[in-house]
Amino acid sequence: MIGGVAYHRPADREELVATLADLGDQAMVLGGGTMMNPALGRRELSATAIVDPAALGLEWVETSVDGGLVLGARVSYTTLLRSELIVERAPLLRTLAGGITGGAQIRNQGTVGGSACYANPASEVPACLCALGATLILLGPGGERKLGAAEFFEGAFTTARRADEILTAIELPAMTAPYGYYKLKLSESSWPIATAVAIGGDDERIVIGGVAAVPLALADRKWLAGGEEPAQVDATIAGLVAEPWGDVLADGEYRRQVAGPVARRAWERMQSQGGGARS
Amino acid sequence: MSGKVGITVNGIAHEVECEDGELLVEVLRDRLALTGTHVGCMNGDCGACTVERDGEIVKSCLVLGRSCEGSEVTTIEGFSPPGELDPVAAAMWDEDAFQCGFCLPGMLFAIRDLLDANTDPEDDEIREAIAGNLCRCTGYANHVAAVRRAIAARATDSAEGDAPQRA
Repeated sequence: MIGGVAYHRPADREELVATLADLGDQAMVLGGGTMMNPALGRRELSATAIVDPAALGLEWVETSVDGGLVLGARVSYTTLLRSELIVERAPLLRTLAGGITGGAQIRNQGTVGGSACYANPASEVPACLCALGATLILLGPGGERKLGAAEFFEGAFTTARRADEILTAIELPAMTAPYGYYKLKLSESSWPIATAVAIGGDDERIVIGGVAAVPLALADRKWLAGGEEPAQVDATIAGLVAEPWGDVLADGEYRRQVAGPVARRAWERMQSQGGGARS
Repeated sequence: MSGKVGITVNGIAHEVECEDGELLVEVLRDRLALTGTHVGCMNGDCGACTVERDGEIVKSCLVLGRSCEGSEVTTIEGFSPPGELDPVAAAMWDEDAFQCGFCLPGMLFAIRDLLDANTDPEDDEIREAIAGNLCRCTGYANHVAAVRRAIAARATDSAEGDAPQRA
């Protein structure tokens, strides 16, 4: 039982926007509910209203005119796993969805948009959205606004979404370049400790999740491709983690130290798919 | 605050009055007296509260009751026709794959969900499929054996044209 909350299920977008404007920061928007509902029940989060956007049906995967994809914010991990469009245009999200722990039940319930809005630094979603160059679409009293993923994620459990806004969709450019993904976790059903996405092709990039409050995009990758000793690469990357983030599963210093190995392994996996300069 | 939710459970349509913050597992147990759905961790970890909602298995401690308006839910009470064991349940019995039984309703849903999608899973796929269901008695080896037995039973049923009927 979640005590002291009122349930709202607005009939359409206009009513939803008006409801959020009226309730302000007393309201929480329901994604999949897998994190929010139990946290509200334990009073780790406080709210007097839950707004259920079910009527908006934000559960689709569609193509966009530029060859990319648009995901409804409440698309579940299972939907990603079943989508041929994801295989063709954003296979990284299939890799991500297949690795979500907690059983099929959690993949059926959990949503990409919900995870983005929760913005747990240990979650796999923020770093993947940053690596993919995703754009998040927020709907509020002033209409829609779009934010790049790097702007959206402001800190640990903090995003640029205002209390009177709802995340409705996530735009993804097509990503068919070779990629490598690596996730370090200490037990099967644990949250990840650190993750890294390496993307090859013309726009090589690498993004590390879980080591800082927001995903860490590495601008300079020559130390990955240039044949430096792994220990030197690890030291360089550790130095780039200016303010490590930590929680009960692993403190910041541990995460800083594993950032390099995790990034190197993602890079190696990307190379094994045929991408990236070989050292 | 409270309100009515229209929900079909095990084929029976209900209009249930429930609190706005009430969870599906509480609606099932406390309002509809369907206590076969178990309350374990209330955090989505243990899987004992697993039910099927609109064709997908979910952990009912994570679902708001009022968000289930229009949903069709199957609980363990509707897992198989009255008086009949589903082949998965029979295999769990035959392989001693449970002791206290607390995890059993959720485990049955997770295993049948696997076999509906994959008729011949590898052992690691079986273990992955029950990764969201905790059993503190058995250590899971007998679960894997039970799934193997259920696969064989379902194949036999299917060959004989006697596929198990869903309730």
